[in-house]
Amino acid sequence: MKPENAIEVHNITKKFKVYLDKGKTLKERTLFSKRRKFENREVLKGISFEAKKGEAIGLIGHNGCGKSTTLKMLTKIMYPDSGTIEMNGRVSSLIELGAGFHPDMSGRDNIYINASIFGLTKKEIDERVNDIIEFSELEDFIDNPVRTYSSGMYMRLAFAVAINVDADILLIDEILAVGDVTFQAKCFNKLRKIKSDGTTIVIVSHSLNQLEMICDRTIWIHDGVIREEGSPFDVHPKYMSFMANNTLSRAKEEKKEEKKKEEAKKEITEAADHKPVNTEIEKEAEKPDTKQDDGKRWGSNEIVMTKVSVTDKDGVERNTFFNSEPVFVSIGYDNPGKIDKSVVGVAIYRDDKVHIYGTNTLIDTSKMLPLKDKGVITLAFDNIPVNAGNYIFDLAFHRPDGFNYDFWRGVFTLNITNAKGEVGVMSLSHSWESDAGK
Amino acid sequence: MFKRVKEIYAYRTMIYSLVKRDLKGRYKGSFLGFLWTFINPLFQLLIYTFVFSIVMRSNIEDYYMFLFVALIPWIFFSTSLAGGSTCITTQKDMVQKIYFPREVIPISYVTGLFINMLLSFLVVFAVMFVMKYTFNPLALLCLIPVMLTEYILALGFTFILSGVTVFFQDMQFIMGILTMAWQFLSPVMYSAEMVPEELQTLYMLINPMAPIIVSYRDILYYAKVPDFGMLLMSLGTGVVLFLIGWFTFDKMQRHFAEEM
Repeated sequence: MKPENAIEVHNITKKFKVYLDKGKTLKERTLFSKRRKFENREVLKGISFEAKKGEAIGLIGHNGCGKSTTLKMLTKIMYPDSGTIEMNGRVSSLIELGAGFHPDMSGRDNIYINASIFGLTKKEIDERVNDIIEFSELEDFIDNPVRTYSSGMYMRLAFAVAINVDADILLIDEILAVGDVTFQAKCFNKLRKIKSDGTTIVIVSHSLNQLEMICDRTIWIHDGVIREEGSPFDVHPKYMSFMANNTLSRAKEEKKEEKKKEEAKKEITEAADHKPVNTEIEKEAEKPDTKQDDGKRWGSNEIVMTKVSVTDKDGVERNTFFNSEPVFVSIGYDNPGKIDKSVVGVAIYRDDKVHIYGTNTLIDTSKMLPLKDKGVITLAFDNIPVNAGNYIFDLAFHRPDGFNYDFWRGVFTLNITNAKGEVGVMSLSHSWESDAGK
Repeated sequence: MFKRVKEIYAYRTMIYSLVKRDLKGRYKGSFLGFLWTFINPLFQLLIYTFVFSIVMRSNIEDYYMFLFVALIPWIFFSTSLAGGSTCITTQKDMVQKIYFPREVIPISYVTGLFINMLLSFLVVFAVMFVMKYTFNPLALLCLIPVMLTEYILALGFTFILSGVTVFFQDMQFIMGILTMAWQFLSPVMYSAEMVPEELQTLYMLINPMAPIIVSYRDILYYAKVPDFGMLLMSLGTGVVLFLIGWFTFDKMQRHFAEEM
C-alpha cells in the first residue's frame, strides 16, 4: 500500500445468489428443492480505485449498480468474492443512524450505547459526550427517554453521535437529508471541517449537488464496473446526460409500444379498408439528433436552444465586457414539443469552477416564461460585477420539478475585465467618507 | 486469531453497553424496575418450596433448594442455546448496516444471561443465609472455575447456533426441543446417583453439563468441594467447543449481511 493512500481497492468482484423463491426452513429445503433455484447475479465485476488521505470521493450510479455494495465492502459488512481492499486507519460509517437505540433509555444513555457500537471506548465517549449533545442541540431533552423525541430530534441525536466519531476514513451512504435546513447546513459544514482535518471520505449519494460541494472526485459505477472517474464537474454532466437519455429512450420505447397497440387495433377495425399503416413512429425514430452529445448537454429535446448570442447595449456581439457595463444574452429556441411555458435558468462559473451565481425564472418571478413554437428569450444583466476573469455560462429550459428539456453546460464564455485594480471574487459598489472632510 | 481478540477487546465498551442495555432495558418502564431481577427468582423459589414441601413431598431433604441450585445454572445454559440461536437474526438491522466484530453479539448475549444468573444466585445466598445453611468458604471459591467452565461451554454453543440460525432458521425451534430433552438428561431434577450405576460414567462423560450441575449442587447444597476430575473433562469439552464454535462463527459471519 502506498503511504499517501488511505484506501486501495483492487479488482473486487461480488456475486449474489438471488433466490427465485428461497426456502429457509428444513421443510422448504427438503421438500421443495426445485423451488430453491437461484441465479448468480454479478453485482461487481472488478472495481479498482484508490483514495488519497484527506480526499473526498463520491460514488454515483443508477439504483442497483453496485455502489452501495462497494461501500458495504469498505465497511467490512460484506466481503468481496475476489480482489482485495486495504484501508489505513480507523473507519467509521454513517450508513445506519441510531443503531442500538433503546427507546426507554435517556438520550445520554443512548449516546453511550450508540457510540460504543462505532467502536469507541468509555473514555473516548466521555471526552465527546458534551460535543455530541451540543451538536444535536438537545441540551434540554438529553435526560428524557428517546421515545419522547420527535423523529427529527431522534435523527439529530443519531447524526451527532455518528459525526463525532473521529475516524481516519468516513463512509457515508445517502444520509445527509437529516433534520431541517439549518441542521442540514450544519451537518455539511461539519463534514467540510472533518475533511479539512484530513479525514478521507467516501460518499454514496444521488444528490449530485451535495457531492459537488464536498467531493474532489466522482466515481461513476455502471453495472458493476467503473464507467467514468474524475472531477465532479466533468463526470456529473456525462452522468446526467446518460440518465436523461436513458429515461428518454425508455419513454420512446413505451410510446412505440402504445402506438403499435393502437395500430394493431386500427388494423383490426380498418382491416376491410386495407389502408396503409401510419409510419409516424419510424419517422420520429429516424429524425436526426441535432444536439451533439459530448456530455455537456442533455434533456428531452422538447425544447431545443438554437442560437445563443451575447451582445452589448448597442446590439454588437462581443465576448469581452467590462464588469460595469450591461450584457444581453439572447437565447433562440425551437419548441417541437409544443410546450406552452418553461422555467429558464442560468448559472455562472468562473473558469476555476467557482460557482458565482445562479438563478431562474421561478426564483426571480415565481413564474415560467410563455413560449412560442420558435422564439427568442432575452436575459439582460445591468452589469456583471465580478472581478476580472473568464466566466462560463450554463443555460437551461426545464420543468419546475427539475426535468430538463434542454440543459446546456458551458454555452459560452465571457471575458470580464475590471478597469480598476480591485481584488477578490466580485466588485461591490461602495464609497468612502472621512469626517475630516475632503 | 490474535488480531481478532485485540479487535474484540477494542469493542469492549460495546459489549458492556449492550449487556447494560439488556439488563436495564428489560424492566424499564415497569414500576419495580430492576427489582424484578430479584423478585422473579425469589417467587420461583417460594413456589417450589410450597409445591415440593407440602404437595409433592420428595424423600430428598429440602428438595426445593436441591432443585433450585441446579435450575439457575441450567436456565442460564439452556437460554444461551435456545435464545442465543436467534441473537444474530434479531439484531438484523445492526448486522446489515454497521461494522463491528460480530462476536460481540453472542458474547454480550451470553454475558448478559451470565450476570442475570449471578444476580439470581444472590437471592439463593440470601435464602440460604436466612435458612441457616452451612457455607463452606473453600467450596464457594470453587464456584468461580465452575461458572467459568459453564460460561465457556455456553458461549461455544451460542457461537455455532447463532451463526447457523442465520442460514437455517429451523435451528431456533430445534434448539427449543433439544434443550428440553437435554434438561431431563441432566441431573437437574434428580441426583446423578439415581442413574443406573453401569451407565454413570458414560452419563457424566457424554454430557458436559452433568459434571457442571453436579458441581454446583456439591458446592451450594452439600457445602463440599466438587470433583475436579469430572469438571476438568467438561472444561476440556468446553474449550474445544469454544474454539470450534468461534472458528465456524468467523467463517459464517462473512456472509451474514447478504444472507439476512
